[in-house]
Amino acid sequence: MTLPGLIALALLAWAVLRFAAGYGPRDPALRQLSAREYALVCAAADAAFPPGGVIPLSGTQARIPAHADRYLAALPPRNRLLIRLLFVLIEHATLIFPAPGWDGWRRFSALSLEQRMAVLEGWAHSRFLPRRLAFQGLRAVLTMGYFACPAVLRAMGLAPLAIETPVVAADLLYPPIGQPKSSIRFGVADLDRAVPRTPLDPRGPLQPGFEAPPA
Amino acid sequence: MSDPRTGSGEVRVFADYQRDFTEVADVVVVGSGPCGAVAAYELAAAGKRVVLLEEGPPFTPADFELEGSLSMARTMREGGLRFTMGTVMPTMQAIALGGGSLVNSAICNRCPDFRFQEWANEADLARTSRKDLEPHYDAIAAFLGIAPTPDAVQGPRNLLFRDGCKQLGYGSEPCPRNVRECRGSGECFTGCRARAKQSMDISYVPAAIQLGARVLTSVRAEELLSNGRRVTGVAGRVVAPFSGAPGPRFRVEAKAVVLAAGVLASPLLLQRSGNLANSSGQVGEQLQFHPGTSVLGVFPDPVDPIFGATQGYQCLHFLRDGFKLETLWAPPGVLAVRMPGMGHQFKQELLDLRFATVFDAIASCHRSRGRVRERGKSLQPSMRWSFHPDDAAILAHAVWVMAEIFFAAGARKIVPGVASHADEMHSIAEAESLRSRPPRARDMVCASTHVFGTARMHGDPRHGVVDEDLKAHDLDNLYVVDTSVFPLSPAVNPMFTGMALARRSALALAERV
Repeated sequence: MTLPGLIALALLAWAVLRFAAGYGPRDPALRQLSAREYALVCAAADAAFPPGGVIPLSGTQARIPAHADRYLAALPPRNRLLIRLLFVLIEHATLIFPAPGWDGWRRFSALSLEQRMAVLEGWAHSRFLPRRLAFQGLRAVLTMGYFACPAVLRAMGLAPLAIETPVVAADLLYPPIGQPKSSIRFGVADLDRAVPRTPLDPRGPLQPGFEAPPA
Repeated sequence: MSDPRTGSGEVRVFADYQRDFTEVADVVVVGSGPCGAVAAYELAAAGKRVVLLEEGPPFTPADFELEGSLSMARTMREGGLRFTMGTVMPTMQAIALGGGSLVNSAICNRCPDFRFQEWANEADLARTSRKDLEPHYDAIAAFLGIAPTPDAVQGPRNLLFRDGCKQLGYGSEPCPRNVRECRGSGECFTGCRARAKQSMDISYVPAAIQLGARVLTSVRAEELLSNGRRVTGVAGRVVAPFSGAPGPRFRVEAKAVVLAAGVLASPLLLQRSGNLANSSGQVGEQLQFHPGTSVLGVFPDPVDPIFGATQGYQCLHFLRDGFKLETLWAPPGVLAVRMPGMGHQFKQELLDLRFATVFDAIASCHRSRGRVRERGKSLQPSMRWSFHPDDAAILAHAVWVMAEIFFAAGARKIVPGVASHADEMHSIAEAESLRSRPPRARDMVCASTHVFGTARMHGDPRHGVVDEDLKAHDLDNLYVVDTSVFPLSPAVNPMFTGMALARRSALALAERV
C-alpha cells in the first residue's frame, strides 16, 4: 500500500472510532435517541445542570434525556433531523473549537465535566452568530427538559396549580386526538357540573403529578 | 351554548375517514383559525351549506401538554421550529382546530384609526376605516365576551407593569381578551385548562356546527380547483395528526371558496393551484411580521408568576412610534432559556424566576419585507425576510423603554437578552447603554407570531390580490380571508381586525352566493 493510501486508511479508521465506537448502551426505554445521541444529551445535560447546588437535581437526574427523546418523537421528521444534526455538531465541533487541555479535541461526550462546561461557555459567548444560535438551540432542548421535571418546578416554586377543568359544549363534539367519536365520555348533564370559576390561589394545591411525594 | 349536537352540522375527526370522499357545499372555508371560523359561522348563520376544512385535529384538555417544548411540538407547524431565512427569526403558526386561537394569549385590540388611514393611503382603500369595521368588532366582541382583563386575575407580575408605566407617565391598560371567567393560570400558550379562553374550537366552530356547518378536521387542502374566472372547489388529502401521514383523498365542490389558511399557507395554495389570483404578482409578496423581543426583570420580593393572566396589561403609548408593549408569561422552561450562565450559576439564576416577570415589545415594521414560496413540493413555506435597520432601531428603543419601566416598578435587575450588552443590568444607570448604544437586529433575540401581507388587499387590481370585500380581483368567487390581506401592520395584535374583516367579507359573500 502506498503512503497516501495508508494515511487515508488511518484517517478512515480514526473517523470510525471517533464517530461510532466506544459509546455505552442507551436507555432501552427510549424510542428516538441513538446510543450516540443519548451519550451527548447526558453529557450536555450534566454540563448545563451539574449535580448539587441550589437545585440539587442534575440534568440526568431530572431525566432530560427521556424528555429529549419524547421531544424528538413529537417533532415532524424534517425538524427531528435538524435537532439530530445539532447533536452531531455539538458532539464533534471540538475538532474546531476544542475544550481546554491537551485532550480537548475529543468528542464532547468524552470530555470531563469541567471541559464540557468550558466548551458550552465558548458556544454561548461566541462572536459568531450561528454558533451562538446553535448553543441556544441545544440549551433550549436541555432547559425545557429540566423544567419538565416536577421536582425541579417545585424547587423553584413554579409547579402548575391544580385546575378542575369544566366541561363545555365543544367537549361533546371532540374525542381525544386519535380516538373515535365513540370515545367521547361527556354528556349534556356534564355541562351543568359545578366547578370553581374564581381566580386561582397561588398557594393552592398543585396539579396532580406535580405534588411533592409523601414524606 | 346548548348541546351543539342538536343542530344539523357535524364534525369529523381522523378516525372517521376510511376511503376517498366528495362533499358538496355552497361555501368551503379552508382554515379554522379566527378568520375562517368567523366566516364559517356567519355563512352558516345566513343559511348557507358550509364545509370548514382544518388540517389539524381538535385538541381536548386531555391533549394539552403543560411543558412548553412538547406543547409547541404538538400544536405548532413544523414542531414550532419554523424560521425565516434572510434575517433568521423563529415564527410560529398553529396546526389545530381553532388555529392560533388555541394557543395565543387572546388579546383582542382594535386597529387604531391612524393605522387604517395609512392602510388607505398605502392600498387605495375607500371603506376600510375604524368606523367601517366598528359594527363587526362589536358583534365579535359580544359573541366572544371580549373585555378588559379584570384586576382579580392580573396577579402581581401584570400589575408591576402598570405601576412602572404609571411612574413614567406612559399610559397602560388591561388587555382586552376573548376570555370568560379567567382563573389566571397563565397557561394560554399551552391551551386553557380552565376552558375560559374563547378559542375558536370552543366558540365559533361549535356554534357554526349547531347552525349546520360540516367541520372536517385532519384534512389538508392541497389545491384550489378552478375553471376560468371561477373556483369550483378544493381537493386534498386526509392527514394523520402530528405525523402528517397522508390518508384518503377528498374533494369539496362549492359555489364559492373562502381561503383562510393563514399568511404563509394561503399564498402557497394559490401558487400551487396554477398561480391563481396573481395577475398583480403580489401573491406571496409583501411578507411582513411584528418582530417581538422581551426583557425579563427580577424583583426584590416573590412575584409568584404562575398566577396571573398570561398577557394582562399593555401599553399603547408608543404605537405611533412603531411599537407596542405588553406583559408576558410562558411556560417557565421557555422563559428560562434566556437566563444567563452555565452550571451552578445557571441554577442560581433559575431561582430568580419566582421573583421575575417579563415584558415584551412588538414592532410595526413597514420597511422590513419579504416573500414566501413553497419549499419544494412540501406544502411548507420557505420564507425570506429582512429586518430593516431602521425597524430594528425601533425595537431596540422598545428594549430601552422596557428597562425603564422595570426599574420604575422597582426591579432589582433586568435580563435584557441582548447579545451586545451585559447579561444582567442592576440599575437604570447600567441600562443606559441600551439607549446610548442601541442593539442591532442581530443582537436581539426576536420571534414573531403576527404575520401579514402575502395576499394584500388593494383598491387597484394591478397592485393587490383582493378587493375590500376580500374577493380576489381575478376571480368571481374566491375570497382570501385571513391576515394575509393586511396591506400593512395593524399596529396592535392582528387577530381581532382579521376577524372583523372576515365577518364583513362573509356577510358580503352571503349576499352573493
